[in-house]
Amino acid sequence: MSTIFECSGLTKKFGSKTALSDVDLKIERGQIVGLLGPNGSGKSTLIKLANELLTPTSGQILIGGKQPGIETKKIVSYLPERTYLNDWMRVQQIIEFFSDFYDNFKPEKAYDMLKRLNISPNDRLKTMSKGTKEKVQLILVMSREAELYFLDEPIGGVDPAARDYILETILSNYNENATVIISSHLISDIEKILDYVIFLNQSKVVLTSTVDDIRDAKGKSVDLLFREVFKC
Amino acid sequence: MLTKLLKYEVKATGRLFLPIFLSLLVFAAINKILSVFHHPTWTTPSVITMIIYSIIMAAMFVMTFTVMIQRFHKNLLTDEGYLMYTLPVKSWQHIMSKLLISMMWIIASVIVAMLSIEIITYKPGTLGAILQALAAIYKQMIGHFGASDYFLLFELILGGLMTLASCILIVYASIAIGHLFARHKILSSLGAFIGLTTLSQIYLVLAFQVPRIAHFADFSLFNITSNKFIQSELIFACGFILIAIPCAAYFAVTNYILSRRLNLE
Repeated sequence: MSTIFECSGLTKKFGSKTALSDVDLKIERGQIVGLLGPNGSGKSTLIKLANELLTPTSGQILIGGKQPGIETKKIVSYLPERTYLNDWMRVQQIIEFFSDFYDNFKPEKAYDMLKRLNISPNDRLKTMSKGTKEKVQLILVMSREAELYFLDEPIGGVDPAARDYILETILSNYNENATVIISSHLISDIEKILDYVIFLNQSKVVLTSTVDDIRDAKGKSVDLLFREVFKC
Repeated sequence: MLTKLLKYEVKATGRLFLPIFLSLLVFAAINKILSVFHHPTWTTPSVITMIIYSIIMAAMFVMTFTVMIQRFHKNLLTDEGYLMYTLPVKSWQHIMSKLLISMMWIIASVIVAMLSIEIITYKPGTLGAILQALAAIYKQMIGHFGASDYFLLFELILGGLMTLASCILIVYASIAIGHLFARHKILSSLGAFIGLTTLSQIYLVLAFQVPRIAHFADFSLFNITSNKFIQSELIFACGFILIAIPCAAYFAVTNYILSRRLNLE
């Protein structure tokens, strides 16, 4: 297994507030990784740094051995925690947009998923509910054959029925070599698909482990362990 | 990638501009038609259409200006930036696509405005008169500069485009500088704009001192050659350099901030 994501001494400060402090991580290819932590622990900051939306205060990030840039953007598919789509486009126009800019985008996959979730490609984003927009974004992101997926709170705003479909979509759409990093605090929902977990707390990594180790060695579920580690 | 960005920029802005261009021309035509009747019963409608026409005209120019700012700010530095900055595209290409399309719409707005005025004031013969006047200017230029008139026209247009680009880039640079601040981004952008404008004024004042100093040093461009064409070309070249320096500086500042100091919240 080779490393797909690596960061060393990664620190991000917003003024006097530290969002991420001296984080060292190494993630191997071919697994689904849960980036778990309470609100404000630095999950989104880490993901945004990896996508070059934020500039690190210090430290570095390597994706497939390269610093974030054009080459890493070609292989990284990112679902932000907010709606980034402009509201005047129709779904099919956005699909066209994605196929234009990303060589690894598969429109047929996207249309297929839209059909399963009963979203019409002719709908304008303006008329959609927040949950539906999130579904469209996830479809777009998962329709790319990327090497690394960053999914920031992918199931936060959708109903439980769609949650199952989304998790199933994530599982069925990534190939063996791809890596998925999912940030969430809805641990019991995503626990069943995770191979590896990273616990973040107050801008620091507090635990990294395979899910099997947690279950076998500690005899606990990830959810239970999370509740213990982050007990208020 | 730049062509793709340009394509989407045209799509995103065209849906705003084309309807307003069309309505301006339609109201200009209605005005023209009503004015033909010259009858008291048509006075009120023609006054109303004239007012609407003027409002559309004003709205068009306000829109050109706000869209220029909005497309840069909203599309690159707010939530939409999450998409734009995860595309495998360099930031200079983003700036370039916004700049070129903004310039295109500003020029198009001016042309449409002139066209609509031409429609309203059209009388048989005016079009001919305008063409005749243009032909006269053209002849005079040939007389003055010889065969180089096409080249001169090209240079004048290029100079105009560079000046326009510089006006837009100073706004982009100001917005980008404002983005560096954690709070009061818009206020900081405004401050940056005032600061950059002042700097540019100082630059121009200093630049205009150069010929004076050169004069004291007994150096003039006109000493280099007595060829009129080369003399005018040298003046143009100096002018281009004068405009190009701030243009390049604004572009560089914007590009540096967007590629090295981006912090989308």
